[in-house]
Amino acid sequence: MDRFLRGLARFTDGYLKVLPLLGKAVPDRPNAPLVLEVARRTRVAPDVVALRLVGDGPLPAWQPGCHLDLHLPSGLRRQYSLCGDPADRDGYRIAVRRVGAGSAEVHDLPTGTRITVRGPRNAFPFVAGGPVLFVAGGIGITAILPMVQASRRDGLDWRLVYVGRARAMPFLDELPDDRVEVRTGRSADLLRDAHPEGAVYCCGPPSMLDAVRRDFASARLHFERFSPPPVVDGRPFSLELRRSGVVLPVPADRSALDVLKDLRPDVPYSCRQGFCGTCEVGGVRVCVQRPTGDRLVLEDL
Amino acid sequence: MEPDNLVLQPRDVHFDWTALPMHWVPEEPVTTHVMNVLHLLLPAGERWFVRTFRQAVPLITDDDLREDVLGFIGQEATHAEAHGGVLDHLLAKGLDPRPFTDRVEWVFDRVLGDRPGLTAGQQREQLVERIAIVAAVEHFTAYLGDWMLNATAFDRAGADPTMLDLLRWHAAEEVEHRSVAFDLMRHLDRRYTRRARAMLLSAPPLLHLWVQGARFLMAADPDAGRLALRDFRRAGRRGLLPTGYDLTRAFLRYFHRGYHPKQEGSTSQAVAYLATSPAARDAH
Repeated sequence: MDRFLRGLARFTDGYLKVLPLLGKAVPDRPNAPLVLEVARRTRVAPDVVALRLVGDGPLPAWQPGCHLDLHLPSGLRRQYSLCGDPADRDGYRIAVRRVGAGSAEVHDLPTGTRITVRGPRNAFPFVAGGPVLFVAGGIGITAILPMVQASRRDGLDWRLVYVGRARAMPFLDELPDDRVEVRTGRSADLLRDAHPEGAVYCCGPPSMLDAVRRDFASARLHFERFSPPPVVDGRPFSLELRRSGVVLPVPADRSALDVLKDLRPDVPYSCRQGFCGTCEVGGVRVCVQRPTGDRLVLEDL
Repeated sequence: MEPDNLVLQPRDVHFDWTALPMHWVPEEPVTTHVMNVLHLLLPAGERWFVRTFRQAVPLITDDDLREDVLGFIGQEATHAEAHGGVLDHLLAKGLDPRPFTDRVEWVFDRVLGDRPGLTAGQQREQLVERIAIVAAVEHFTAYLGDWMLNATAFDRAGADPTMLDLLRWHAAEEVEHRSVAFDLMRHLDRRYTRRARAMLLSAPPLLHLWVQGARFLMAADPDAGRLALRDFRRAGRRGLLPTGYDLTRAFLRYFHRGYHPKQEGSTSQAVAYLATSPAARDAH
């Protein structure tokens, strides 16, 4: 070890002893949670409702691709793309297709309901400068719509292929006719109009995304990174935390991490796909690993 | 419109180093080895970031910040892995990096690691101080990341495309997550003195390790010659290394009262690179 580093080590030994004498850390004031009120409900398609959410003052800024986390009165949490105008700081718009328990609850929220939200956060940032093709499937139009409006405003060379199951698709009235191709039913050859040097932004069901990824050879494909792949072919097992003496049941469709998080919200994890190692406990990557038997033991928890 | 509040996601990247020449910037052993110091410092350094931030997670009271920190941890962990792969390649090529990486490990363990015998109060202060050091280092990585994304001189010099992709993928993720360590530090301690002190403590050892690392690599490479300041200046003029002047200015910017990492670099540029990076695309 060279002299500089040995000196640094000796310095640090003393420094850490006097560190508390240099004053205690002053934590930042916590941000108040964002509470919004349902100001308006509009049916924009037979099974799609758009909500306008307003706050007590100007809302946090957002950009195309942002979503909001809704903390519903039942305790369910659901994410919805912001599909209004980013310049409108007085309200957010989301649009929800009725598919399951969460979306049914959103559909039934009466105007005047106040709900806590988190965000906006961006998992689908829009950065195109050149020619761009948008591909939207069904309710995926909500993420794409603000990108289309931004492209119109910035004078980009853009096209939209909008695929739906039936003719009554939401927001057709907000799209110009000339650059939009509306298709119904199963659709092939989605990328016919893609510019070889341009970008593709795609939001839709997984089958559409897979098709686009297969067909698009050029480099600039953007799509939303959703939550981790679902657990398939999983079997239920017991998760034993040896040090705490706790045994938790893990159902077939959840990971050990999912169950652990319910018990300990501050357990570290990151990729949820088994490659980054953040969640490792004693060599076990709890985000993906399942036991060959019916019990997974974590010695250190 | 610059996208903000990105959801940070680690990417499962892989690089194949079998075709990497020793001097991956052709006829530029100095540039090659000064940049190679990254591979010596980062695996140990980023693993230490991860240890530090994992300890910090329970102290976070803000949900968005916790999500940012978890994304940051995953990205840093994959950076450490990716740079570690280059070390294995160097070893296979006959350049044994371990005498130097052992020294780097010693610094992160003995100087910056957990200490036995501290009181609970001292431990908490040490953790916040370590986070402030990460924030200071992340200022440099954001500066260097932005520099790397714009360093077209590498393309003109015919640098190895896989190495360029590693460096630019890493650069883009550093730009993507450049605010996280700073925001975490401010969450736990918003005093200016904490920020300024941590930068003053971090910069000299970082410079020292970088110079020693470059000297070590040049000495271990029989075709490289000795490291002279003149070569560093010449590479800077060609745009292959940041200049001393620019590094000093970046260092000083951190002391502005109104500094925030968002002011360094461009999120759009980082996102655009990640959409085209061969490694990041394969990781989708």
